[in-house]
Amino acid sequence: MTDVDLAVRLLRTTPTHENRPESQLREWAGKALAYGDELAGIEDDGEIRVVDREGGAGSRELLLAEHHRGTVTVYSDSLRRVEELARAKGWPVTREALRTAAVAHELAHHLLDVRELNRRLGHTALRFGPVRVRGHVAGAEEIAAHRFAHRRSGLAVSPLLITTALAGGN
Amino acid sequence: MGIAILVLMAVGVVLMLTRVLPTAFALVFLAIGIALLAGAPLDGTDDSILTGVLQTGSAALASTMLAVLLGSWLGTLMDETGIAGTLVRKIVEFGGERPSIVALGVFAVSILCGSITGSAPAAMLAGVVGIPAMIAVGVRPVAAGGTVLMGISAGSPLELPVWQFLSDALGAPVADVKAIMIKLFPMALVVGIAYVLVRTRRGARHAWAVKLERPKARVRRGDAPWYALITPLVPIVLALGLAVPIVPSLLAGVVYALVTTTKWGELNGRALRSLYKAFQVAAPPIALFVAIGMLLAAVKLPGAKNALTPIVSAISPSGGLWFVVVFVVLVPLCLFRGPLNVFGLGAGVAGVLVTGGIYPLPAVVGLMASYNQVFSVSDPTSTQTVWAAQYAGVRPERAMVSTLPYTWVVALGGMVLTAVSYL
Repeated sequence: MTDVDLAVRLLRTTPTHENRPESQLREWAGKALAYGDELAGIEDDGEIRVVDREGGAGSRELLLAEHHRGTVTVYSDSLRRVEELARAKGWPVTREALRTAAVAHELAHHLLDVRELNRRLGHTALRFGPVRVRGHVAGAEEIAAHRFAHRRSGLAVSPLLITTALAGGN
Repeated sequence: MGIAILVLMAVGVVLMLTRVLPTAFALVFLAIGIALLAGAPLDGTDDSILTGVLQTGSAALASTMLAVLLGSWLGTLMDETGIAGTLVRKIVEFGGERPSIVALGVFAVSILCGSITGSAPAAMLAGVVGIPAMIAVGVRPVAAGGTVLMGISAGSPLELPVWQFLSDALGAPVADVKAIMIKLFPMALVVGIAYVLVRTRRGARHAWAVKLERPKARVRRGDAPWYALITPLVPIVLALGLAVPIVPSLLAGVVYALVTTTKWGELNGRALRSLYKAFQVAAPPIALFVAIGMLLAAVKLPGAKNALTPIVSAISPSGGLWFVVVFVVLVPLCLFRGPLNVFGLGAGVAGVLVTGGIYPLPAVVGLMASYNQVFSVSDPTSTQTVWAAQYAGVRPERAMVSTLPYTWVVALGGMVLTAVSYL
C-alpha cells in the first residue's frame, strides 16, 4: 500500500468525506502529501517546546502527541505501545525514532498554513456563476503532517502506515 | 403520612441513582406506593389505584407521547435523508480554517436538532458528523461534545414535545408554556455561544491520535438539496410564528422533509420505514411518560395532596428573592436523576407545587423549564450527555464539569425571569 492509498483511507474515514468519489480523495491525498514534502524541505528554526508525559494510552484511543499554542506534549506510554506494535510487525522502529516523528508531526501543525493548503487543494464549497467559495478539506492537514514527520524524522515506516495499523487497518 | 410519602420518594431516588431500577419502573412503583400511603382504594372510583393511577394516569401524557413520536419521526428523516449531515458538512467546508466558526456552526445545527427531538437522538443527529468534524479541525474533545449538548439545550425551549409535556404534566395552557420558553431561549442561546467561544478561544489543538476501536462505517448519504435544509425551521415557524398547534406543526415538518428529499415513487416506502424506526427511537421517552403520568396521578390523589401540601408549603421559599436563591442553590438536585429532574420525580414535585397552589402555575412551569436547561446538558446520566461525551472520547463527568457553570447561569436567568414575571 502506498502513502497515497493510506491517505485516501484516512480521508475516507474523516467525517464530511464519506460520499466523495475516490478520484477526488486521491487527488487531495496527492496534493496534501506534496505539501508535506515541500514543508519538510523549508528551513525553519524548529523551535518548539516539548513536554513528555504519561497518560496518552486509553482503551479506546491512543494519543501519541498533541500540539497546542506552540507546545508539543508527547505521551511516553503511547510510544511504548507503538514500539510493541512495530516489534510485532518486524518494523525497524525504535522508541526514540518514534518520539522524533511524533514531535515532527506536531511541529508540522505549528508550521503549516491551512489556508495555503486549502488553496492548493482547490475544493469549491459553493459556486455562484463565476464566483467560487473555497472550501476546507478536513483531514488534509493530518496527511501533510504525517508526510512532514516521515521526511523530518527519517522513520523507517510511514506514520500513515503506523496510524492505519494501530487502528486495526492491516 | 406526608413524611412517609417523602421518605418513599427518597427511596425511589436512591433506587434510580443506584440503577437498581430503571427510572420508568421506579416511578411506577413510587406511584403505587404513594397511592397506597394516601389511602386510595384499589378499585371502584376515579381516585382508585387501578382506575385513577394505572388506567387514567398511564394515558395522561398521551399528547406528549404523540408529539415525541412525531419529533422522533422528523429526526429520523433528517438523519436518513442526509439533512443533518449536509448541514454539518457545509459548516466544516465553509469554516474549517477556524475551529470557533465550525463549533458555532455545529452549535447552530444542534439548536435545530434539539428543537425537533430530544435526548440521545438529537445529540446523534448533530453529533455523528459534528463531533469528529470539530475534533478534526482542532476543537478539544470535551468542548466538541459540550458544544453539541449546549446546542441541544438551547434548542430545548423551542422543542414542541417539551411544550406539550410541560402543558400536559402541569395542566398549563400551551400558550403559557410557549410564552415562558420564548423568553428562556435568548438566555440559553447567549450562554451557549459564550460556552463555545470561551472553550475554543485558546486556539486549535491538533493531535496524532488513533481510535483503537474501529468506528462503525457511517452510512454514505448524498447531500440533501439546499431547500430541504430548512426542514427543522418548518415546525418552529408554524408553531411559534403562526400559532399552529403542535401535532400539525410537526406533521408539516415531516411532510416537508419527505417531499423535498424523496422521489415520488419512493415516498410511501421512506415514510413508513422512517415512521417505524421512529417508534423505536421514541420508545424510551414514551415509557417514561407513561410512568410520569401515573406518578402525577398519584400525587394528585386527595389523600396525597392533603398530606403533602402542608409540608411542601412550609418548606417552599416565599417571595421572589428567596424563590430564586433557594431553587438556584438546589440546582444539583436535578442531576443524577435527582428529585428535581422533571423527567423523573421532579414531575411529581411539580405536581405537588401545582395542586397545592403553592406557586402560580406559570411559576412552576418556569421553575421546571429552568431545571430542564441544566439536566438536559449536564446530567452525566442523561442519555444525550453519555452519548455525546463517549462519542467525543471523554467521560460524561467531564462533560458535566465543562458545561455545568454555564447551564447553572441559564437556570439562574430562568428563575429570575420566573420570579419577576409571576411571583
